[in-house]
Amino acid sequence: MSTDSTDGTDGPVTEEITVTVNGEPVTAAVEPRLKLSDFLRYECDLNGVRVGCEHGVCGACTVQQDGRTVKSCLSYAVQADGAEIETVEGLDDDGSLHPIQEAFHETHALQCGFCTSGFVMATKELLEENPDPTREEIETGLADNICRCTGYQNIYEAVEHAAEKMEE
Amino acid sequence: MSRSQPTEVGDDADAESESFTGQGLPRVEDHRILTGKAEFIHDITPDNCLHMALVRSMHAHAEIESIETSEAKAHPDCELVLTAEDLKAEYNPMPTGIESVETEDGEADLFEWSLADEKARFVGEPVVAIVASNRYAAEDIADLVTVEYNSIDAVADGMAAREDDVVVHEHAGTNVVDHERIEFGDPSGAFDDADTVVEGDYSWGRISGVPLETAGVVARYDEDGDSFDIDCNIQLHTLVDNMIYETLGYGEDDVRVNVPADVGGSYGTKIGIHRYCCLAAMASQQLEQPVKFEEDRIENLQGGDMHCSDREYEMRMAVDDDGTIRGLEVWFVDDFGAYPRYPVNQVLKPLSVVTNSYDIEDVTYEYDLVLTNKTSQTAYRGFGVDPHIYALEMVVDKAAREIGMDPTEFRRRNMIQPEQMPYTLPSKNIYDSGDYPATLDRIQEIIDDERDGGLLDPEVVEAKREEGKYRGVQPSVIIEPGVSGSDWTDRQRSDRDALEDRDRDDVEELPEHLRATLEDDGTVTASLATDSSGQGHQTLVSQLLADELEILPSDIEVDYLDSIDAPTEYGSAASRMAVMLSGATVGLAEKFVANAKAVAADHWGVSGEDISYRDGALERIDTGDSLSLADLAAIDDADRRLTQVSYNYDHPATEFEEFDEAFSRKFPVYPTAAFGANAPIVEVDVETGEVDILTFHTVRDCGTMLNPMIVEGQAHGGIAQGIGASLLEEFGYEDDGQPQAITLFDYLLPSIENVPEIQMEHTETPSPYTETGAKGVGEGGMIDAPASIATSINAALEPLGIDEPADQIPVAPDHIRKNVRDLE
Ligand code: FES
Ligand code: FES
Repeated sequence: MSTDSTDGTDGPVTEEITVTVNGEPVTAAVEPRLKLSDFLRYECDLNGVRVGCEHGVCGACTVQQDGRTVKSCLSYAVQADGAEIETVEGLDDDGSLHPIQEAFHETHALQCGFCTSGFVMATKELLEENPDPTREEIETGLADNICRCTGYQNIYEAVEHAAEKMEE
Repeated sequence: MSRSQPTEVGDDADAESESFTGQGLPRVEDHRILTGKAEFIHDITPDNCLHMALVRSMHAHAEIESIETSEAKAHPDCELVLTAEDLKAEYNPMPTGIESVETEDGEADLFEWSLADEKARFVGEPVVAIVASNRYAAEDIADLVTVEYNSIDAVADGMAAREDDVVVHEHAGTNVVDHERIEFGDPSGAFDDADTVVEGDYSWGRISGVPLETAGVVARYDEDGDSFDIDCNIQLHTLVDNMIYETLGYGEDDVRVNVPADVGGSYGTKIGIHRYCCLAAMASQQLEQPVKFEEDRIENLQGGDMHCSDREYEMRMAVDDDGTIRGLEVWFVDDFGAYPRYPVNQVLKPLSVVTNSYDIEDVTYEYDLVLTNKTSQTAYRGFGVDPHIYALEMVVDKAAREIGMDPTEFRRRNMIQPEQMPYTLPSKNIYDSGDYPATLDRIQEIIDDERDGGLLDPEVVEAKREEGKYRGVQPSVIIEPGVSGSDWTDRQRSDRDALEDRDRDDVEELPEHLRATLEDDGTVTASLATDSSGQGHQTLVSQLLADELEILPSDIEVDYLDSIDAPTEYGSAASRMAVMLSGATVGLAEKFVANAKAVAADHWGVSGEDISYRDGALERIDTGDSLSLADLAAIDDADRRLTQVSYNYDHPATEFEEFDEAFSRKFPVYPTAAFGANAPIVEVDVETGEVDILTFHTVRDCGTMLNPMIVEGQAHGGIAQGIGASLLEEFGYEDDGQPQAITLFDYLLPSIENVPEIQMEHTETPSPYTETGAKGVGEGGMIDAPASIATSINAALEPLGIDEPADQIPVAPDHIRKNVRDLE
């Protein structure tokens, strides 16, 4: 969305923020009410941040902020001032997939793919904390993300497969 | 074969093996999605793009007295304000599923304008459209509009609506806008003659697909060409594009509807998003600038024209004491909400599986399709079959109990036998192939294993009961009708008497269209005329075409045609694509190879017969000279015989006389019958009323599996949606028409915690009617899981003497608690 005032005088009030996004600093003047999800999607062109509900239930907008997953639709960009954000775009290495991404591909853990960025990011946090999770731990770790297509069966497989890959 | 485990192969791996078809080839769609690069509709924002927001009615039923927009117009970011009055000056109402009803004074139209005209008929109905420089501003401005309403009584219950105390479209005089009673065989004879008649009432709550991605549109009006370009995530864009161009008042070729390669789920629901497309297009025409609309989740749930079946059933079954089902009577009301939109034929699709897996000759099928003050219905996976199967399996259970027979034995006794295949239903559709009793036997074996030291071990079951937890299971064999023909879908708009002796030659079917072009580098681009929303059509076609052309899937790109480039066709719905695309691929490849031979023949100056085609290369038989596809692409062929080679695959049922009667009378034609049996082991906590599915066994058959990984994925997803439908999801309404579920906190989608392990087995009984033996497979889990869960809950609570605790879907905890309390 546009940040400069429409007529030069009494346009929206903006605040300048600097956020490190996927390792690159981004400075922008944003309205205080701009959601972090919209900042990432529209200011940073990171469309891998998906928006499915804008009220904190579906998890499609999940990103990492300072190493912890957050639902980016639930916070404002200004709250991320000075923070480090990682999105799904930060995972692959010049097109070669991260082991978690590979695992999702190989186990058919995505169909429409609208939830996938969120699941991949949630899986990343889960495996960082617990490199060899049980099914129950996977269930708990991914309980904040909704997938409407896969019935989760292959998502379990993907997480387990990713854990194996990352161990190697 | 125990747990569902996709075959692990790398892309293009197993190039050595005989064929790609039949392998669980990982999908070509995945890479762009996983890296965040896939472009979904909400990711498209052209330069100069404006944004639309909608003011929606907060009333279920209200006269619109006035709309005050001056404050909105005065906002510096406001570009446009549209009301029904503006629309009526230039555009048309949107086409509906039932255009008019007969009244004493002639025909009454059921017009639906894209913005409410004079009256709002449901909460969430759009009344005013605002366009502004960005989405935040557009929503601010929407708040500045003041609409004065005169709220009137509403009706929000399908059964009550039949009384016509409140009429949603007053001038129509009634809420019952369609009704039909069809008799097959001699139902009254059967009911008179049978030993017992069993009756049951069942209720199916309003649910929907609720894809994670909401609806979206970017519309651009081109003044020079006086035409529109509309990017959107509508489903069936080559079929329902008329909803858009007719509303705009333009011809088919003036409105290009284009769907991104990636759509974030639809499951039928996005067939109904045309209102947004129309409004964005109108706004862009008024402003001569691109206009974008992103639906938000609350809009989507409350007034997004996307709910589905909402039914009350009264079932009757005539049974003899020896366990023979003599007759079936189905009566139901479907509450369609405020407007009878496109999917009115959801009330008819159950005819394609009217007796499910049972051999019953005498059947009555009757329904009332009613309007109420709720958001309108769209399609959802199963298309009205899911509630029918649920109600049928419930009354089958009840009948078995009433005559004192084991419900599984009762089912077995009435089952269609393999030697009856192909089996013609009383409603004239045909089941192609399958051994239903064997499937029932197999699921019973699995259950017996659970009884022997597993989840249903008598000792465990007994111990659990002490804790107030009741376990049970009750399987049945359930049919998934696949590969809809299209002709029947306008039965509601046809003269029913005239259909009695309609001619077979009058039947019109829509073939599946597929195209291919040889690229300069020798690779092949195939173009789909359908849209996709996660089913892996690009993978499927590259896999099938690779086999037919004897090249690698990675040498085939698959893209999509827009509504102008593609002919009008049906597209991706009704469990069609595996069958239609495989048929189309075979035909297309034959044509492509013939053309390739013709080009090579001209090049060598020989006849086509002197050339062979193998492994993606042409060989001149006499000299052994050969041309690769890349060599062929370098030949300058004036006739461009390898550019846009196209093929139309006819609907398979049109080939077989057996389907003639169903076709000519516009009864649903679904020539493939995938089938399966489920054993969800449920545990009901009588203290809390909660139902836990401990594990979900399923034995399924969809004929030849083209890509087993995708087949299993479809089954997993369908079953998960079936679990949601049967236990969690519902769009409830207050009596005054206020919706109760407008966020995902109220409309509960199943999370990973609600979906148990699904233990799947397959059998493969090829369809005799399709090119590859494949059967349609997109909807099965959603069709069969709710019925199986409901009958399993009945079984679990039977020891308590509770009669049919699952008589309403979803089986919510408070309903179970009520049943338990009534007992106490
Ligand atoms: S979009 Fe953030 S949780 Fe759904
Ligand atoms: S893949 Fe469609 S929502 Fe998860």
